[in-house]
Amino acid sequence: MLVGVCIGCAVVGYVLGLVLEATRPLCTRPTHGWLKAAVIFGLVFHAAALYFRALSEPSAPLSSERDWYLAASWAAGVVCAYLIFLRPQTPFGLFLLPLVLALLGAAGMLADTRPLPEPASRAWGMIHGLALLLAAVCVLIGFVAGWMYLMQARRLKHKRTTAAGFRLPSLEWLQQINHRALLISPLLLGVGILSGLVLDRLGDANVSRLSSSDPLIAATWVMFAWLAAAAVISIFYRPARQGRKVAYLTLAGFVFLVVMLAAGLALESRHWGGRKREHRVPNAAAWKTETARSSPSMQNLLPGGRRC
Amino acid sequence: MLIQVVGCSHHCTPLEALERLTFSPAETREALDRWRRVFPGVEAVLLSTCNRIEVYAAAEQGDLPDVRQIAAFLARFRGQEATADCERFYCRQNEEAVGHLFAVAASLNSMVLGEPQILAQVKRAYQTAAEHNATGPLLHALFQAAIHTARRVATETTIHQRRVSVASVAVADFARGLFERFDDKHALVIGAGKMAEETLRYLYEEGVRSLSVINRHLERAVELAARWGGQAIAWKELPNALADADLIVSTTGAGKAVVECRHFATIDAQRHRPLLILDLAVPRDFEPAIGELPDVYLYSLEDLQEVCRRNRKERDKELPAAYRIVEQETARFMTELFHRSVWPTIERLRNGWQKIKEDELERLLNKLPQLDEHDREEVRYAFDRLVNKLLHPPLESLREESRKGVPRSLLEALARLFQLKD
Repeated sequence: MLVGVCIGCAVVGYVLGLVLEATRPLCTRPTHGWLKAAVIFGLVFHAAALYFRALSEPSAPLSSERDWYLAASWAAGVVCAYLIFLRPQTPFGLFLLPLVLALLGAAGMLADTRPLPEPASRAWGMIHGLALLLAAVCVLIGFVAGWMYLMQARRLKHKRTTAAGFRLPSLEWLQQINHRALLISPLLLGVGILSGLVLDRLGDANVSRLSSSDPLIAATWVMFAWLAAAAVISIFYRPARQGRKVAYLTLAGFVFLVVMLAAGLALESRHWGGRKREHRVPNAAAWKTETARSSPSMQNLLPGGRRC
Repeated sequence: MLIQVVGCSHHCTPLEALERLTFSPAETREALDRWRRVFPGVEAVLLSTCNRIEVYAAAEQGDLPDVRQIAAFLARFRGQEATADCERFYCRQNEEAVGHLFAVAASLNSMVLGEPQILAQVKRAYQTAAEHNATGPLLHALFQAAIHTARRVATETTIHQRRVSVASVAVADFARGLFERFDDKHALVIGAGKMAEETLRYLYEEGVRSLSVINRHLERAVELAARWGGQAIAWKELPNALADADLIVSTTGAGKAVVECRHFATIDAQRHRPLLILDLAVPRDFEPAIGELPDVYLYSLEDLQEVCRRNRKERDKELPAAYRIVEQETARFMTELFHRSVWPTIERLRNGWQKIKEDELERLLNKLPQLDEHDREEVRYAFDRLVNKLLHPPLESLREESRKGVPRSLLEALARLFQLKD
């Protein structure tokens, strides 16, 4: 219940921040203060939701697919708040807050998924989850920087001045962020995949290993291949790390991320607990009974199958 | 109590005449020292910029020097040739003077509407006068209110956010959109025109230190490069210079394009980094097709002038809101000023009645020695209430009247009725 209330408050804060960002050009007085307050309000409640999840689930905040999305959206929110404080003139919230809300929305869609089984090694499990989470956030930052780069480049090419309160960062700064995101994201994703392989090896020998034909695993490999190739190209081929090219590379990285997340959300995958689909219970009462039997920590469930 | 401004500005005086009258900082200090000797007891601030010379004067009591006296003072200081220029001086008093200063500080009276330098100049003028003890309570209050008004206009309107000069638009709106920092950028100036120098000034302020100047006449390039700490390059080196530059300012007087697209495309193919070109020449130095190349951002004088025109239009839209703020602040300041003017009378009236109250209280308490401390306090409290209640109606009337101006007749009537003396 508390988690739900906290997430509701966080969404209110982020939506308010987004509205303030969107109406910025219309406001004659600066709204930075209100914007910062709204985003911090959202972040605090978001952090509280993660904290309450950690209290109810021993391995939270990375104990389930839903928790992973909750944590990823919080990390994206922290980046957004940092950028808003760093450059109050730039409407970062307009670009980042929709992504934060989308991740929260994905977490909401997964409200009735079961927690992951306890990993063979807690440490490797945390490294795996965190590395993938940070890689995703890194790709998101690269995407936003790339998007802003293209908008700014378009404005400059068309000789348009910025609207009041809608000053985008310089192309040089955006290019640097893009390039860094392009280099760091495959590293983090590589660590995530490697730790996942280690976890798989350490797992129960009686349980079959995760296959690379699993849609989520396959999508992750494809994404890693793309990000690694993009990073290598940008290191060894100078034009690829300059101008629009680097922006296009990071935008493509985001497309792969979306494909990967969509594969995890929509397709049958053994990754998230291995038996996500089979174990989704048809009705709330049965789900409640089963989870109450299976795990004491699963007893704090909301009516309708939603976890609090 | 009077506040007055006497001066001339670009609105009514030719710039050459203004140049003759302009005061350097040292001259301003000297003029203020001399002012204190010539007009003792009169507060003054001398505001001297490229576009205006104004003397703000104020006195709590007595008269202020008139336009002729101030013009003569300035003319004596600047020499006889300035006497004729002083005939153009305008004079505004009290509310008009206050509103004028507020509009000046908020840059609503500037040649370039909304230009930000004027507020710093107003602050500097006030600071100089304060340091030389030329200001007093009236001008302190006036200039503080002017600075507050300017800040309100800056924060509550977007009048300062739009730039209206070609060079400032080029640098602030476009160069800053491209580059995060300028200290590691190399600028190339093609031609040695006046516009190039003005743009260079803005670029220098942004941090550009690496600079090359290229001109058909090398000696002019050397001259300009020496002024800005750059290096002069021979004309034949133009292709290499184009390849090395991060931003180019071009202002040659050539009759046709100096850089053609087909030549530039081969240079650009090896660059692999964004390039900003400010083509301020008429006719253009760079073929427009160059702007189509990826990562090349080309702005012609026409483009920049169009932005300036749009910005000017946007600024004009903000004018009514800015003037509303000036009016509000002027009204507020004048009300405070009028309250100040009745304050001495209120003080005298209150002190006179307090004296009577104390005398009568002392007499009564001497006659009633049997009263204990508590009863004495009660008696004192009753006397205080009585005096306050009797004073309330005349003071309220004074305050009410002072909202519209200095209530001279009421002040005189009070002074006569209650025999108030200074």
